Amino acid sequence: MHLCNRSTGLFLAVFMFLAVPVFAAAPGNETCMNCHGRTEINGPSGIKAYIDPVRFAATTHSIVGCTSCHGQVSKGHPDDGFIPPRAACGDCHSPVYEEYSKSSHASKAGCNNCHNPHEVRLPMFMSGDDINRKCAKCHDTRKAIQSHSTWLPQAELHIDTLPCITCHTGSKDYVIIMSIESRKPGSKEDFKTSTYSELSTLSQAEDVSRVIDLNNDNLISLSELREFNHRLRSKNMRLWGMMIPETVTHSYQILDNRWNCTFCHSSGPKAAQKSFIAFPDKNGGFKRLAVEKGAILDILYGTPDFYMLGTTRSTPLNIIGALIVAAGLSFPVCHGFFRFMTRKNRKENHHEA
Amino acid sequence: MKHNEFVYMTPMPVRIWHWLNAFGILTLCVTGLQIRFPDYINIFGAYKAAIRLHNTAGVVVSISYILWLLYYLIVAKSLMKLYIPTIEDLKSGIFRQAFFYFLTYFLGKPNPHHSTPDSKFNPMQKAAYLVIMFILLPMVIFSGVLLMYIAPLREVLLILGGIKTLIGTHFLLSCCFTAFLFVHIYLATLGHTPLAHFKPMWNGWEEEEIDDASTEKTVGR
Repeated sequence: MHLCNRSTGLFLAVFMFLAVPVFAAAPGNETCMNCHGRTEINGPSGIKAYIDPVRFAATTHSIVGCTSCHGQVSKGHPDDGFIPPRAACGDCHSPVYEEYSKSSHASKAGCNNCHNPHEVRLPMFMSGDDINRKCAKCHDTRKAIQSHSTWLPQAELHIDTLPCITCHTGSKDYVIIMSIESRKPGSKEDFKTSTYSELSTLSQAEDVSRVIDLNNDNLISLSELREFNHRLRSKNMRLWGMMIPETVTHSYQILDNRWNCTFCHSSGPKAAQKSFIAFPDKNGGFKRLAVEKGAILDILYGTPDFYMLGTTRSTPLNIIGALIVAAGLSFPVCHGFFRFMTRKNRKENHHEA
Repeated sequence: MKHNEFVYMTPMPVRIWHWLNAFGILTLCVTGLQIRFPDYINIFGAYKAAIRLHNTAGVVVSISYILWLLYYLIVAKSLMKLYIPTIEDLKSGIFRQAFFYFLTYFLGKPNPHHSTPDSKFNPMQKAAYLVIMFILLPMVIFSGVLLMYIAPLREVLLILGGIKTLIGTHFLLSCCFTAFLFVHIYLATLGHTPLAHFKPMWNGWEEEEIDDASTEKTVGR
């Protein structure tokens, strides 16, 4: 069944790419955006026909073209008052649509309530904050914290730090996505994800990933992470990590292992070793660069304000701690040894039994 | 010729505090071990259970510490007398006591310090307890409270160097307490019998061995 759905999806995707020339006769994106890309189009009548051209250009939907979903645009549009029809999401995304239809969300919200088709992008191009803002449209954050705190320690911290879909998804694995956050010097406000313009000023390059990826090899090494973090401290910036499922499902099921804290709070061989840094791009989306494997566990130098109990513990500190404990233990052992060897002296003087 | 005398050394509030504190710190050390090394240690089953128990023990130790402080400050009014080393203690007492522990004890010489209800601790104990009760314990409590409320207290955390600094401090302090536990329990066995110092911490009365001839008292840690 899944195979069948995947094949259908693949066929549709291929078909859409092939179909682009067929629709060439129909108005192209530019023609539509000439009007729909201007905010004035919303007008006083309450019609919301404006489409952010920058955000739309970054979507996969812009590749398939406006008329793929809005066919039958009349020649007299818009003066004739005929509103072009809209394709249903399930027409192309049928596997997801079927999965979603069976979930508890289906009766409460349609696809568009979470995914604006003119701005939608893959999770890998979104920050955790972006994802949670969609959930917060219906699920009040305060109430979510309250309901989670009945069983989850540090509920507020978890909800601040994790996208909801980390647990509320059927995805078996996850990755850690770090984003660069900043705030104004001297400000007490919360840190916010740094914008493209902030980072381009810092990197003095169009490709803002250069701010960390100094050798431009599209891989963040641990030394680059350290170097960047060293510079961050004087700039009111920080790296902030979030766990995101590797693949996202629309079943919203909670896998049993999500109730087990050590699913995340563990640095053993099964723990997540994959991490990325998300850089904002010009189009309002994000570009991910992989971090050297295992670097996340040496987070001491990477993100001083990000710590996961049991996961990002520092090995040097463990060694120092073990030496302190060993020193404490060595006293009774050594003193006890000499005490035993000299027990006769005390018996003679009746000081100790 | 020797005979034994009983001295009421440890009042009940102090004994209650001591055992609450002892079990609390032991619980904190063991649960803390599971919290830091969940992939190797699983004593309390769920990780969440270890965290809940750790937090609860932390609250118990914090409250009992405040009550202990208030008792000694307001009720017994002997905090300074018992815990602050005198000039004499610093000049020679500490060294005399260390000399005893590391040398003359093995030669069978008596303890230079004689415990009384007004002077329970020898100079080394005073110095050690001063550091533990007035520096290390408040620090571990303070860092623990901040770590229990990370989200609402994040600004304070940042001022103090961030969560990693705080976790590191909390961890190293807990290692100091673990080390102290070993030393403390061992030194408590150095009375005239191995259990001589444990009994007064349970029933309040310390048994002293009095030498009738020299009236030399051989009690002390």
